[in-house]
Parts: sequence; C-alpha cells; structure tokens
Amino acid sequence: MKPTWKDHPQALERLAGEYALGTLQGAARRRFESVMRQRPDVAAAVHAWHERLGRLLAAQAPLPVSEDAWPRLEARLFGSPARQVADEPKPWYRRRLGAIPAGALAMGVFLGVMLAPLLEATRRDSQLPESYVGVLADPAGTPGLIVSSLRRGSTVDLKVLSPIDVPAGKTLFLWTLDQAGVPRPVAPVPQGKFVSLKLSQPAEEIFFSAVELAVSIESAGVQPSAPSGPYVYRGLCGKLWRLPGT
Amino acid sequence: MATHQEIETLLARVALGDRVAFRRLHQEVAGVLLATAARVLQDRSLAEDVVQDVFASLWQQRTPAAADPPARSFAWLCVIVRNRALDQLRRRPREVSIHGEDADGDEVTYDAASDAPGIFEQISAEQDHQLLQTCLQQLEAEPRQALLMAYLDGLTHAELAERLKRPLGTIKAWIRRSLMSLKLCMEPAS
Repeated sequence: MKPTWKDHPQALERLAGEYALGTLQGAARRRFESVMRQRPDVAAAVHAWHERLGRLLAAQAPLPVSEDAWPRLEARLFGSPARQVADEPKPWYRRRLGAIPAGALAMGVFLGVMLAPLLEATRRDSQLPESYVGVLADPAGTPGLIVSSLRRGSTVDLKVLSPIDVPAGKTLFLWTLDQAGVPRPVAPVPQGKFVSLKLSQPAEEIFFSAVELAVSIESAGVQPSAPSGPYVYRGLCGKLWRLPGT
Repeated sequence: MATHQEIETLLARVALGDRVAFRRLHQEVAGVLLATAARVLQDRSLAEDVVQDVFASLWQQRTPAAADPPARSFAWLCVIVRNRALDQLRRRPREVSIHGEDADGDEVTYDAASDAPGIFEQISAEQDHQLLQTCLQQLEAEPRQALLMAYLDGLTHAELAERLKRPLGTIKAWIRRSLMSLKLCMEPAS
C-alpha cells in the first residue's frame, strides 16, 4: 500500500501542532481527529503540543475576577450542605460506608476496593475487632497513610505508605471531617513509618461523627482550630463493626 | 501568583476532593483563565461563564471514573478554557466585524492584537516563563505575531492572512516554521 501522511512521523508531528494550535480546520481536522482516536502515539503528540502551547496561555497577565465569582461557583457546586447530601446519588461504596460527603468521592473507588473485603470479613465471621479504619490518599491519589483505632480504644495507629516531606518546625496533624466537611482537630502525628498517638478522649467520641479523615501540615507545638493549608492525606473513615440489621 | 508546581499540587488535591485547595486554586488561576477566555471571546461576561463552567467540571469530574482525563497542569487547564471558549465562539456569529463604523459613522478597525497588550510583551520574568520567553524571542517578529494571534485569539490561516495582509501561503509557512522552532527550543532533547 502506498504510504500516506499517516505513515510519516514528521507530518504527523506537524499536524499535531497545527491541530493543537487550532489552524488545522475543516475536513483536514476531522480526518486528523479520526486518526488520533485510533493511534495513541498521535494522541500523545497532540497532548504534548497542548502542554507546550498551553504555557503561552498560562503566561498571560490575569484579568481581575469579579468578587462574586467564587460565591457563585460555591453555590452552584455545593449549595447548602443538606441539599448536597440529599441530591447526590450514592454509589455502592458510599452506601456501604454510611453517609460520605462529596469530598470523599475522589478516593471512593479506591477505598471501596480496599475496605470492602474488610467489611465483608467483618460480616462473615466478626474476626476483626470493632475499629475505625481510614486509608488516606496522598495528593498523587495513591495510598499514603493507614489510620486505625479500636472503637473503644484510646490510641490511634498510623502506618505511612507514602512519606510526605515535613519542613523543620512543622508537624503532620490529624483531623476528622464530618458530613458537612467541617474539620475537627485530633492530634499531631509523630514522625515515623509506624507510629501511635494517644487520644485525649475515647476513640468512639472522636471518630463516631467522622466520615473522613485528613492530615495537614501545621506548626509544631500549636493546637490549630482549623487547617492552615491544604490536606496532604485524605480519605474515608470506615467503621468496622456489624450494624443493626446487617 | 503561585508557581506552576504549586498549582499542580493544588490540582492534585482538588482531585482528592479538597475544598480548601479548590478555593485556593480558584484564587490563584481564575484571573489567567478569565484572560484566556476573554481574549478568544472578546466578551467578559461570556468569558466568566466559560471559566465558571470549567471550574465546575473540574470539581464534578474529578472522580477516577470520570470520562475526561483530569487537568494535571496549569497549561492543560488553560487549554481546556481556551477550547471551551473557542467552542462558544463557533456556536455564535462573530458579533464584531474586523471593520465597522462607530456611532459617528467613521470607519474603525477592530484588531484583537492591538486592542490588548501583546502576550509577548506581557510574559513576566517569572521563572516558570523564562524558557517560553527565550523561545518566543528566537522567532522573527511577524511569524511570532501570527502564531500568537492564531493561538490566543483563535484565528484561522485565512483570518490571519487578512489581518496581517500577507498571502495565505506565507502565513501557513510562518505557522509551520514557528511551531517547529518552538518545539525544538522548548524541548531540545525530544
């Protein structure tokens, strides 16, 4: 068969650039899109061009944003917390773990996979002690931290799967998040791969209302009332015990 | 303004459902995204709608099962906004012709490239933009202008030829050469 432009890497690269730039138009654009759908190498070349040219856009001077832009977005996405919980369809892992706020959805699938066997084991033979367990993800979306505590215990065990660099004078800090996403401080997390921390109250009182667990970086020696920055680990708080009627 | 790396971290945290990071991301990048959309649409109100839609999608489609791949970089987020703005532009007729008359009946020319400061002049000396600035500098002035107008204003070859008063073939050659030069300069090892 006679070679065409599809067989020439240089031609494909040039067309990928023109496609991302937007100057490839009409039938030629549609033909190229058809090839792109079938050829991962061509799709990757277009992606690389988008990243390359996108830097031009990112370098633009910002325009002033309307003061009501964020409140409008917030109202559109979250409304009131009660409405949010009522309106969102609950996938299987959320039904299984109880009421989970929207903020946990990103890790829902992963945690569902991780926790489901544990929950099933609990249902079958009750071999596991009643516990709170969280598998928290790091910012890359991979398992970063396992948090567990006996339901009526007074300590929390933490196993670090993906370490996070903590600057000098700072510490990791554990939070619970309730259905509305409101954080409540638990305690600073000692450094180490496998550590324990002593709770100021019984675990049941601290974790019962928690639907998520999260960890932020805070100043050492300070008792924060709210996270001072984004979370570095976050995930669902699972309750491993038999519920009435199950 | 946060660095591109900080914005990538925020995007990753948004993917985890971190509302604090989502708000911070909005604070950090909404202005640039608005500039991106407004440049294409030449309409601030429509541009604001596009940016709102992109932010809403970013939050709603952050699950691993979402159909579209998530934005992983600031550049990619800008591309999403630009493409949404171009879609919007193509759905409506061009409301402002290049040539027209003002209220007094005098002929006026609207030229996106001259209405707002040029991107090349805008690029700051921030570390994130140094390579881009260097690479754009290596292009000749007219081809560079054609490339930037094509990308930032969403102009076609024909529209560029009309605006820059150059033959279509020249415009096409400028774009082709500029793209390849930019690629070689930005990623010499690739």
